[in-house]
Amino acid sequence: MKKLLGLGTTVLLCAVLAASVAPAGKSKQSVVNLNFATYVWQPTTVKAMGAIVDSWNKSHAGIQVHIVPVDVNSVHDKLLTNFVGGTAADIVHDEAADIAGFTQQGYLANLTPLIPASLKAEMPQSVWDTTNFGHKITGVPIMLQTYNVFANMSILKAAGIKAPTVANPWTWARFQAVAKQLSTGGNYGVCWGLRSPTATIQTLSLNWGGQWNYLENGKWNLKVGAGEQAILKIIHNMVYNDKSIDAAGVGLSGSAVLPAFFGGKCAMTVQGNYQAQGMIQQSPKGFNWAMFPPLKGTSQNQAANPQTLSISTQSQHKQEAMQFIAYALNAQNMAKLAAGDWLIPAAPAAAKIVVKSTKHYGSWKNAVSAVPNFKKANWVTLGPYARWKAEVATPAFRQYLGNQISLDQLSKTLIDGWNNIRG
Amino acid sequence: MIVSSRPKRAKSFQYVALVAYMLFLAFPLLWMLSVSFKGPRELVELHPHLIPAAPTLENYTVALHENGLVHAAWNSTQVAVFTALITTAIGLPAAYVLARQKGLISRLGLGWILLSQMFPLILIVIPLFLLLRRLHLNDSHAGLVFVYVVWTLPFILWMLQSYVRGIPRELEEAAMVDGASRFHVLRTVIAPLLAPGIVVTALFAFISAWNEFFFALVLLQTPSLTTLPLRLAQFVGIEGIVRLGPLAASALLATLPSLLLFTVIQRWLTRGLMSGAVKG
Repeated sequence: MKKLLGLGTTVLLCAVLAASVAPAGKSKQSVVNLNFATYVWQPTTVKAMGAIVDSWNKSHAGIQVHIVPVDVNSVHDKLLTNFVGGTAADIVHDEAADIAGFTQQGYLANLTPLIPASLKAEMPQSVWDTTNFGHKITGVPIMLQTYNVFANMSILKAAGIKAPTVANPWTWARFQAVAKQLSTGGNYGVCWGLRSPTATIQTLSLNWGGQWNYLENGKWNLKVGAGEQAILKIIHNMVYNDKSIDAAGVGLSGSAVLPAFFGGKCAMTVQGNYQAQGMIQQSPKGFNWAMFPPLKGTSQNQAANPQTLSISTQSQHKQEAMQFIAYALNAQNMAKLAAGDWLIPAAPAAAKIVVKSTKHYGSWKNAVSAVPNFKKANWVTLGPYARWKAEVATPAFRQYLGNQISLDQLSKTLIDGWNNIRG
Repeated sequence: MIVSSRPKRAKSFQYVALVAYMLFLAFPLLWMLSVSFKGPRELVELHPHLIPAAPTLENYTVALHENGLVHAAWNSTQVAVFTALITTAIGLPAAYVLARQKGLISRLGLGWILLSQMFPLILIVIPLFLLLRRLHLNDSHAGLVFVYVVWTLPFILWMLQSYVRGIPRELEEAAMVDGASRFHVLRTVIAPLLAPGIVVTALFAFISAWNEFFFALVLLQTPSLTTLPLRLAQFVGIEGIVRLGPLAASALLATLPSLLLFTVIQRWLTRGLMSGAVKG
């Protein structure tokens, strides 16, 4: 009897244990865990991204997203190593120009069949084009940047100069004239930090249609024609002939020239529009600054090289990853991310939300006015571009801006370098 | 008795020169200290001052709370201590053999050490990552320590063998003549004489691991495993944008353990460096 009782108790215990373990095991198995490698950096954006992930995790118990922070200056190296090593996160945050190479190497999943129609409709086709590699979209655009003139409005007003408007933007000629007018008494019209000149120069070349890379007989060639030369000539002329750009600042980073701008040594500075965040945080109390609409050459076009969210080919949960991306990039969330970084949301609906909710209405209005002018630049989707930029273009542009080589020498270096790298 | 004023003047000049040199060396640290107490607006003044006009502890608050500096420092400490211990434990006997055993293997060993220092980091990082992944050591402190030991060992060996060479062989021979075994000689004769060298090399291994960035960047993925240099890098943003105040505060805090360590073992360090400097 005792034996029977013992056996019965054991069976009962086992049954209870099995019953209690089974649902736990089942629920554990049914949770999909997604790693999300992101390089968001500004504290405001880190906070916004954290809040988006938290709210997703709360409302989607079956799909849990874990943020893996990536150093913003080592994104390519980190992602490359993880892709090669087979340890890539499910969702990766990068930019259009960088994912071209990863797409070619097969590390990024084709998102075309996964992207929900509502998300596709949120953004203009010109922005989608930047992440479309031969009918294969491998990145969902998040936000973009433009290069804008920031002005010390007190100096401009004192000189009787009217600020441009979205309807009536400055041309480059007007900008040059104003810069020259304001270069007096040891002060300069413009401080322009061009330590990383390639993105700035190439993007602004689109103002004159300069695409740099052209498809000829099935090959992408590099050309430095009138469209490409225009911006180079203007900057060089302003530094060395007009002396309206402070030559000492040309070799510095964009942020490094801010003290001169805040100190009144320069009336204007050309910066990525995200620098507005720095203006808010760092400008002296009472400093009257404004961000102007993009300058106009023959157009106001600038290159669209958006930050992107992609899904790695190695991910076992692509559908779920896309669900999260669609959630993270709905208009409300995209607006929160963009507002934190002062970058332009890829979706016009998100841009409207930012403009409505901001304290800096004028500058944000000028920033988002650039959206229709974002154009696909050919170089963004070319595989050899990242290497050419780092190894050839940046050092060569620096030499030209430092007045060490002529425009012809620069052109030759850029073209030869491209041919070597493209092969 | 007439005392010439020339030696006094010379001495004064020496002190002035010494103070000027000390200031020159310490200036970056002083500037970092100053920056760490400045607010965001004061950091972008056109004419910056060494003494902050409105000192603030805000940067230290950000460093300690927002960026998880303390946890990262604990991670770095573990990694650096284990690296120093393991490297020294492996390097010591190996260096003794390299220094004392003359022959082809010893010469080849030293040649290989030199050669191994010539490999660029970027060349080995992907194969290393694949290897560690196969061993299930990527994204772990154990894997990072393993890499640091391998990476630091050649230089440690080179340093230590030069210290061993500095100890006269006759001392060992005399002890052996008195009947001491090889192990006894190593323990009672060599080890005490080599102590300054061991301290210096261990310190070198510690600091190398403490400051290392690239391997940690590539190998570690889990945020809770992050080491100090990775945390510091998070204050540097795109296109040269830097959160200078919090970065200076964090960098200063990150320097403290090394400074403390140097202070504690300063005497050993001086002896070790000097003995290493004249032999080799």
